[in-house]
Amino acid sequence: MIDSILKSIEKLPAFPATVQKVTDLLRDEDYAVADLVNVIRYDQAIAANILKISNSAYFGVRQRIKTIQDAVVYLGQKQLIRAVQMASVTKFYRKGGRGYIAHSQDLWEHSVAVALMSQILSRRIRQREDAALYTAALLHDIGKIVMGEYVYEAFDQIIGRVKQGGCSFLEAEEEVIGINHAQVGGRVAAHWNFPAEIGDAIAYHHRPDLLAKEDKTNTWLVYLSDQTCLMYGIDGGVDGLAYKGLEEVMRFFDLRAVDLEKSFIALHDELEKAKDVIQVQAG
Amino acid sequence: MGISDLKVSNNPEDVLITYALGSCISIAVYDPKAKVGGLLHFMLPDSTLDAGKAKERAAMFADTGIPLLFKSCYAIGAEKKRMIVKVAGGASILDDGNYFRIGQKNITAMRKIFWHNNVLIDAEDTGRNCNRTVRLELANGRFLVKSSEGTVKEL
Repeated sequence: MIDSILKSIEKLPAFPATVQKVTDLLRDEDYAVADLVNVIRYDQAIAANILKISNSAYFGVRQRIKTIQDAVVYLGQKQLIRAVQMASVTKFYRKGGRGYIAHSQDLWEHSVAVALMSQILSRRIRQREDAALYTAALLHDIGKIVMGEYVYEAFDQIIGRVKQGGCSFLEAEEEVIGINHAQVGGRVAAHWNFPAEIGDAIAYHHRPDLLAKEDKTNTWLVYLSDQTCLMYGIDGGVDGLAYKGLEEVMRFFDLRAVDLEKSFIALHDELEKAKDVIQVQAG
Repeated sequence: MGISDLKVSNNPEDVLITYALGSCISIAVYDPKAKVGGLLHFMLPDSTLDAGKAKERAAMFADTGIPLLFKSCYAIGAEKKRMIVKVAGGASILDDGNYFRIGQKNITAMRKIFWHNNVLIDAEDTGRNCNRTVRLELANGRFLVKSSEGTVKEL
């Protein structure tokens, strides 16, 4: 079964080059608006979504964004990268995931929520946002897109193990299918030539304690963002909350329960603003 | 309805639904004689965490949302002594030790409030580690709980 899963990863479309091109162009502080507009315009999937996403209250732009040029001018560097990332990643969530979720929009909504939460927690813990963290959070469950069909076929066996107790959904996937959705996500990240930092955060997002690396901050943050979103109720998947709680995360970040309760409130506010970003799947 | 929301109705054709309860709790109340019912989806146990938010969105917290749910039902004809109370939600991550037991805290806070107000819970499906969607039918007070494990049951 693993062989055929790995083969389906190879068949995944390449990660949109537009995201990298936009990132590269923006690295130069004297970037030309026209260059960016041209890059974005020629990527149909992104061009179709970028206006809707840019006008979301989440980005807080007062002017109505009517053209791609408006988006480039008004969003500014950091926000533009995020809008382009969201506009390009959403297409991967449009298909697949069957086996985990009832509607493809559920997995997209969860992914956006985890991305928002990752920045809420990063601001609280490190007083700053983090672009690599954002990317990893937005794509942490990408393995589910590939694994969905296999989980669908083996669902009774997997959920049976979870219900018997003592076994997380992740462990049940490993036992029944031979690989878990986080590991598959790590392979997808490698297929897309993502930096190791992002690939690790995806591959270990349920078990950061098992990652043998010096700096595991972003992996722990993706883990905590995912878990808090599951508890919050943004999930909609068959796996529910059946994942391992790792208490050490609180010591790692010197957090108290009340900090996480406050992050619930912050997420509630941000999701309200990001409604259009989530709705982009419906359109 | 969404998270941190509350709805009441006396229209027998209405069905109140709230999706994806993780550690949040949904409380359904129903007066079979008046055919008045309400649904609350609260997120956190205690409004002292953010008093401003509690004012703007009472349904976010157990201690502000639960009284508002009952009062809103009284306002459209329900009576306390006839009210049937059913609850679902308050799920947790597996073996989370002392890490973030928000589901458990929500359950405890709710029980305390009910205890202080002499309210008995008629049926409940709380805890465990599944996600739940609930619906309350105003015509007959039927309260259905659908779990992410794939089961649907009437409480």
